[in-house]
Amino acid sequence: MTDGTGATDSPKAVSRKTGGAVLLRLFRRLTRKDSLVGRLIRLASVWFIFSLVITGIALTAYFHQAALQRFQLNVKQIADNLYADTDIDHSGKVVTPPFFDTRTNRVYSGLYWQVSEIDAKGAISDAARSRSLWNEHIPIPATTLGEAKARIGEGVFYDSIGPEGEPLRVAAVYSKIDGRAFVFLAAEDRAPMDKDVRRFALITAAALIVLALGSLVAIFIQVRVGLRPLFDLTDEIAHIQGGTQQRLLKSYPAEITPVATQLNAFLDYSQEVVERQRMHVGNLAHALKTPLAVLMASAGSQDGELPEIMRKQAETMRAQVDHHLRRARAAARSQALGERTPVEPVLDELAVMLEQVFQDKGVIIDWRTPDDLAFRGEKQDLQEIAGNLLENASIWCRKKVRITAEFNPVDQSMSLAIEDDGPGLDEARFDEVLKRGARLDESVPGSGLGLSIVDELVRAYGGTLTFGKSQIGGLKVLAKLPANLDGAAA
Amino acid sequence: MRILLAEDDPDLSRQLKASLSDAGYVVDHAPDGEEAHFLGDTEPYDCIILDLGLPKIDGVSVLERWRREGKTTPVLILTARGAWSDKVSGFDAGADDYLTKPFHTEELLARLRALVRRAAGHAQPMLVCGGVRLDPRAARASVNGEPLRLTSLEYRLLHYLMMHQNRVISRTELVEHLYDQDFDRDSNTIEVFMGRLRKKIGNERIETVRGLGYRLKPLHDEVSDL
Repeated sequence: MTDGTGATDSPKAVSRKTGGAVLLRLFRRLTRKDSLVGRLIRLASVWFIFSLVITGIALTAYFHQAALQRFQLNVKQIADNLYADTDIDHSGKVVTPPFFDTRTNRVYSGLYWQVSEIDAKGAISDAARSRSLWNEHIPIPATTLGEAKARIGEGVFYDSIGPEGEPLRVAAVYSKIDGRAFVFLAAEDRAPMDKDVRRFALITAAALIVLALGSLVAIFIQVRVGLRPLFDLTDEIAHIQGGTQQRLLKSYPAEITPVATQLNAFLDYSQEVVERQRMHVGNLAHALKTPLAVLMASAGSQDGELPEIMRKQAETMRAQVDHHLRRARAAARSQALGERTPVEPVLDELAVMLEQVFQDKGVIIDWRTPDDLAFRGEKQDLQEIAGNLLENASIWCRKKVRITAEFNPVDQSMSLAIEDDGPGLDEARFDEVLKRGARLDESVPGSGLGLSIVDELVRAYGGTLTFGKSQIGGLKVLAKLPANLDGAAA
Repeated sequence: MRILLAEDDPDLSRQLKASLSDAGYVVDHAPDGEEAHFLGDTEPYDCIILDLGLPKIDGVSVLERWRREGKTTPVLILTARGAWSDKVSGFDAGADDYLTKPFHTEELLARLRALVRRAAGHAQPMLVCGGVRLDPRAARASVNGEPLRLTSLEYRLLHYLMMHQNRVISRTELVEHLYDQDFDRDSNTIEVFMGRLRKKIGNERIETVRGLGYRLKPLHDEVSDL
């Protein structure tokens, strides 16, 4: 998952990479209130588990019912036979039909029958019973007897306890023969059936639990896959923030298309604002600088105290204008996203230009860079950084200036080394120059070396600026800047 | 020495004109791009000071027109936009030097002196090889009329090849003639520069003769033009 929930976990849980910890983390992540995935999975699980429980209960109940019905069929049949074939002989003795099921003859076999007579006072006495009952008697509750009386010949069912304490299912048919009232009973041990029902319930529960777990995994996958466009969107936005792309490029499903379109429109707008801001800044520069040039030129052509003050103040104003324009530019830049600038043409242009400017001195600028190296930032900024550093080097060198760009794949950066064969700088002064850059806010506008501009820019790109001694004799300035290698060669 | 000052701000123009006259230059003034272009096109100036923010036609366009028309007069551009991107575009258009506003008048005079001196080098014949032309005096080269922007080592390389065109030149010979005594005499470097030069003038103009060196020659369809 791309959200940062991992960060909220205790370091201990993260370091212990046991399955339990992983599950715990997953669980925490899914139970977070603000996780969309968690929310969808929670919702789906709740109704799914609810419906599984209902299904389980219904299935078990149905099976129970069906088993009982089948079970009762048997005892009912015995009771019916008993009722149909029992007779009273001329001596008034009850004669029961013979049964072929040997179980009724085995003592306490679990299958019993009984014919009970109810006399006029309501007292129950057994007229006949299966041998399996031996001397035991199946009791008839008064309520059941009432029910049976109400449905003569049809029979009712009830539970009872057998001679060995076994649970019995009993079928009772009430009828009168020759004016005498009888209850014909058949009973069977229901324990095996109960066992079947329990087993069925267990198996059903197990199957449903397996189904639930499997479905949870399926739901999780479905949600993750279903929400993939959202994660893609997050990735793309991260890329835009990281500066590796400028707009959203993938196509998104209809539901997110408006968001993506709006976001792209917003990015375009911000780009436009940056451009406009930069244009305003440029216009302001032009508007202020020509009057300043006039002031400086007129003051410079005269002697005296007033022209001197004018000159100094104009100089300060110029430095202030430069300083604040740079700051405005830097602010505009930090909003610009995803630019990429091939390094080679920039170095070539600057080398050609500065060699021409320093033609009288005969400066030779030797530049080297991989063909496909690209600076992850704006062209203007690379020009500013390399231009200022090259100009410094050209001023201080005897004849040779070397600028070498190298790609560093480890942190996707480039080292831009500018060297000259001039007098160089004392190591003690390296710090001084750097310190001046470090106090950006208080830094005096316009340090003589133009390095504060470069330092500001390099920092804005999260890079570093270091100084050293060059192999060719003079100062070596090393600027580390974000870069990558796939920049299309211009 | 005759100079054209193309600047739209009247106060700055007046000041500069006075300073330049004091320094001994004859100064013509053009307040807009149209007039600047016309004057620069018709009068033989030794140097032109060109403000980039001119009305009617902007400085860069004026400069581009002059260069397209073959004017080699040195041009110093004045610009309020001190960003390197602006300077680079000025140079791409064919400027020889730049000065960022506001500037000290002394600085301008010093740059001007250097430009004029540089331009007054000995007249040397134009070198031609097919569509490639090299003017040693102005240190400019072009391919089919399009100005080339070369670094000094690339220029030296092209110059040497132009002087010895149609001849095979060995790498050692190039190394000896291109570099000062104390430069890296790494013959691989020649390949790097040769690569860049080929990119700029066209790959097929420089032939690699295996084991021997390089030869500059006109393209097949250009031979008849000579």
